Amino acid sequence: MVDGFIILFGLTMLYLSATSRLVAHIKTLIVQGVLLFLICAAGFKQAPWYIVLFLTVETLVVKAILIPWFLNKVLKKTHSNRDTDANIAHFYCLLISSIILFGGFLLGVVEIPSLSLINPICFGMALSAIIISLWLITIKHKILSNVIEFITMENGIFLLSLSVAKEMPMLVNIGVLLDVFIAIYILGLFVSEINSELGDMEVAHLSDLKDFENND
Amino acid sequence: MINLVLILPLVLCLVMFIFRKKRLNSFLVFLYAVVHSLLGVFYFTNLQYLGQNQYFSLNSSNIVFYLVLSVVYLGVSIYNIGYSRNMDKLFNEKKMTRYAIMILIFVLSMTGGILADNLGLAWIFIEGTTLASAYLIYFNKTKHSIEAAWKYVFICSIGIALAFVGIILLTVAEGSLNSLNYSDLLANAKNFNHFWLNVSFVFILFGLGAKMGLAPVHFWLPDAHSQAPSPISALLSATLLNCAFLVILNVYKVMIAANCFAYARIMMLIMGFLSLFVTAVFLYHTTNYKRMLAYSSIENMGILAITAALGGVAYYAMVLHLIGHSLIKASYFLTSGNILELFETKKIKSINALSSLDNKTAWLWIASFLGICAFPPSVIFISEFLAVKTLIIQKHYILCALFLFLLTVILFAMAKVVIKMVFGERNAQKHTQIQENISKIYPSMYIPQTILLVIAFTLGIYIPKYLDFIIRNTIGA
Repeated sequence: MVDGFIILFGLTMLYLSATSRLVAHIKTLIVQGVLLFLICAAGFKQAPWYIVLFLTVETLVVKAILIPWFLNKVLKKTHSNRDTDANIAHFYCLLISSIILFGGFLLGVVEIPSLSLINPICFGMALSAIIISLWLITIKHKILSNVIEFITMENGIFLLSLSVAKEMPMLVNIGVLLDVFIAIYILGLFVSEINSELGDMEVAHLSDLKDFENND
Repeated sequence: MINLVLILPLVLCLVMFIFRKKRLNSFLVFLYAVVHSLLGVFYFTNLQYLGQNQYFSLNSSNIVFYLVLSVVYLGVSIYNIGYSRNMDKLFNEKKMTRYAIMILIFVLSMTGGILADNLGLAWIFIEGTTLASAYLIYFNKTKHSIEAAWKYVFICSIGIALAFVGIILLTVAEGSLNSLNYSDLLANAKNFNHFWLNVSFVFILFGLGAKMGLAPVHFWLPDAHSQAPSPISALLSATLLNCAFLVILNVYKVMIAANCFAYARIMMLIMGFLSLFVTAVFLYHTTNYKRMLAYSSIENMGILAITAALGGVAYYAMVLHLIGHSLIKASYFLTSGNILELFETKKIKSINALSSLDNKTAWLWIASFLGICAFPPSVIFISEFLAVKTLIIQKHYILCALFLFLLTVILFAMAKVVIKMVFGERNAQKHTQIQENISKIYPSMYIPQTILLVIAFTLGIYIPKYLDFIIRNTIGA
């Protein structure tokens, strides 16, 4: 059952690669938040109450509700609905993401002695989610898309921390939450500021500072 | 006492927030710097008593980093008194209060990152520095400062996230041990899984290397350092990069203790030489003097990585270089603030005859250049000399030649800019405006650079016994 949720999480990354609508990207974040909650919930029986509370807040409240709500607000404010000008066509983007995901899946099913310390399928899917997110950041043009992919990368890292079979220190969980904090506050804030200053949300407009040209 | 350094800035932030007075803000920033330094001096003179609490400690491995932060921050806070008086004319009390609060939070985060006993905690504080300094880089709210802050936040956040992946993989390498305390990691390193340890180091080096400004993950650095207000540039370059380096160094020590550092050593050497190469290429063409200083920081971080990787005598050189770079680069950036106040531009081609317009700033500019380019008696001369010596002793002749060649190119590129800016014909049209701007340079905007340079040049001639003792403790010799 848990493996099913983990694979579903991996598949959401394919959907993210295939669509250019930013609303769909935000909805994917909601799905990922819920899936992460369900994956965590599988281990709730053995966990102390404060861990259960913390993980519920982190996944359901922050990842599935707060962040999408915040990004939706920014989306409405900036009126940027689609990221159509990716560096490569969506078909190839989907193809490459599928190959990365397949690689992650293989890592999960092939028996490697060094992977005995971790949950291999979880590790494989998490690693492919991180790599796909980084790949999407490099090819997308809208600043908001980059923020969304940054958050999916964070979700991948969260899944990676769950793949470690032993109990992770509380500190590490707080670290993940702090990263999410960066994502919504700083990136969200900057997105609004950039929009009001430049009147557009294209990454290309953030390339004035160069070495070979004179700038202030 | 450690608690005082960590709690006091929060109290001071509250006081600033309540009163919102420009003069009070500058005073409180200075007050924290004094308390910070006093604590450093106290530990410096009472080495047998090193402070600690449950999560933080001042120990032999981090005391040099703490002292460097103290001294540089004290210098910056003195400079900031004059600098803020100029900013007061441009910005309202609310904005100036935010500026002062963010400086305190930024220094608090760096202090926490240095004092943290735990890798996870250090990581959280390093992330805290991103939050605080992003606002400071973005402070002027120009198109370029937004661009610089965006790149800074985005690249560093991705870097820090990757470092976090490294920490997770380190916990996998630990096996049955469930701790991120440095002492536990060092004590149990021999039992760690080498495969996972190597993989985790790659992530931590690349992740925190981005924060440290090592090539090829350095892209944010020239933009952010050149767009931030000069006191902030000084803090970013002279102290923030050291914090990230300390965490990398602590993990590298774990690699050494686990006896699987050969791979890590090669990684650090590659990134170090790549940093020197990138600096040599870009510095030669730069048209902005603050970017020039930023590239110089990348170069010096590269030298730190190289000396750390070489080990032996170069390890001693690493600590000396860290001290020298921080003191001189802080002075360099603060002096660039004076030039910016005078000429109101960062373009190299628009600046000349500095010596005939403001002699003191010109001398500080030249002295900082001589110091950073390792002219004797700069302490950096000793560190770079020891680095070259180690390369020869270890029979890395090609690397040694490459090291010297790249340093020579960098020296030439910087000398060209400094000579052009300091000497030459005055521009009659701009002369009147610059004469008016000289009144903006208050005495407090010369004093800290002078002190920092005097310390850096004195250390090149004479290293006091107790400092030598501390450095040897830091490197575990």
